[in-house]
Amino acid sequence: MFSSSFFYGLVILGLTWTALGALALIVLLLKDWIKKQLW
Amino acid sequence: MLAAASITREVGWAIVIVLGLIWIGLGILWGRKAKNSEGFMLAGRNVGLSLGSATAMATWVTSNTMMVAPLLALKMGIWGMLAYASASFGLMLFAPLAARIKSVMPDGFTSGDFFRQRYGAAGWSMFMVITLLYSITWLVTMAIAGGKLLEELGEIPYLQGMSLILVVCVLYTLFGGLYAVIGTDFIQSLIILLGVVAIGVMVLFHLDHGATYEYVETNQPALLDVLMPVALLAFFNNMLFGFGEVFHNNVWWSRAFAMRKGVAPKAFFLSGILWFPIPIAAGFIALAAGPLGINVTDPSKVGPAVANHVLGEYGMGMTGGILILVVLFCSIASSIDSLLAATSDLLVKDVYCGLFKRKLTDDTFRRVAAVAILLVAGIAWLVALPGHNLDTVLFSAGGLVASLIWPIIAGLFWKRCNRALVLIGIIAGVITGYICWFAVQTYVAALAGGAVSMLFTVLSRFIAPSPFPERTSASPNVE
Repeated sequence: MFSSSFFYGLVILGLTWTALGALALIVLLLKDWIKKQLW
Repeated sequence: MLAAASITREVGWAIVIVLGLIWIGLGILWGRKAKNSEGFMLAGRNVGLSLGSATAMATWVTSNTMMVAPLLALKMGIWGMLAYASASFGLMLFAPLAARIKSVMPDGFTSGDFFRQRYGAAGWSMFMVITLLYSITWLVTMAIAGGKLLEELGEIPYLQGMSLILVVCVLYTLFGGLYAVIGTDFIQSLIILLGVVAIGVMVLFHLDHGATYEYVETNQPALLDVLMPVALLAFFNNMLFGFGEVFHNNVWWSRAFAMRKGVAPKAFFLSGILWFPIPIAAGFIALAAGPLGINVTDPSKVGPAVANHVLGEYGMGMTGGILILVVLFCSIASSIDSLLAATSDLLVKDVYCGLFKRKLTDDTFRRVAAVAILLVAGIAWLVALPGHNLDTVLFSAGGLVASLIWPIIAGLFWKRCNRALVLIGIIAGVITGYICWFAVQTYVAALAGGAVSMLFTVLSRFIAPSPFPERTSASPNVE
């Protein structure tokens, strides 16, 4: 059986990872913008 | 009704109209960059990593991600969330394919181009039937989902809401082409990611962790089963479904063609990494339904029901309802616009130019593309009118799309094969997939269809293989 700590660890990991994903996109956008490589 | 609607009809209309006007305005602005058909359909083939990653990720986030991930968590627990997350592997594994696509077809426009070149007219015809059927079904389910969600969350009558969401997406795609689609996808991806985190964190802090786990352990212990058979099946079936959907559909091929050289592999891999946690972050809230005492009358709406309840408990009422509506609107619009653009591209390039041998010039491309977009949207609107649930039609197509996985890989990476055997394998895979869906079990269709097609494709390498034809012009009748 999945343990309580696994369950909550997975949820916290999922939320953190999702938030970091948004941050990563913003950083990449700024990088591309500065280098004039957006599109 | 989902819950007592926390936003009024007037607020619902206002949100959708404001968002719609912003997207249409951006579509007009960015559409000026498209000077020719390549600009309109492929954003000038110069899209960078940030926009490329975001558009691939946002397109793959649909209302299903927000609604079905919680549903699977409710039915299959932790494995349910992971099963849905496994669809991200399709994006990641498309990375090497994207590199190969750019290499073998540097001037390509559509996945139909590829199938015509590799498998001839018969293969192309088969492919077009499969992909158009699948894409339009996907588009229709998104339109229906949009209409139903606007009705549930904002009290907007179904027909009006469904029509409005389609009209908004059609307009900014018409004005802006792939530039508008990709640009709005970036904004929508940020809204989706941040919205999912905000709602998820609020639900997490609202729960008594120990009591929640105890509740599930006592009342629904199967949801915590590490070896739950159907969940394990769902994990691998969904993964293969994801491979099939991503590998074949022009939505992804057009993005591969649109990205600058060297960007596509990184962008697709990154998009998969970004997408993976979303079903977990969105799905786990379903497991809070029982502990929070929420009466789930429609399991397919458990996600928004729990979110609505928890946000209401925080006193967010109207604001919470707006947040949920905006996140769901963005997840639906980001898929509808991509499907409109990619499906109309197939009609323009493969049918108008390829089959009917008409020429496409800088003066005519917008008009032709507009007709194709309106045609696709019109068909979707008509089929979506009655509001029947088409999810079964979509999800039963696992075998349909999984049957294309190996033919596409073979066409991209092999030098020779027996093309007739491959095409027979596709048909056999499709039939097997549907038989398994209806006669065996839901979560075996993609596995079975993909396996049968793989067998034929592997055999085609050894039984009377012949070299693939020399590459011809990828885009007939384009100036």
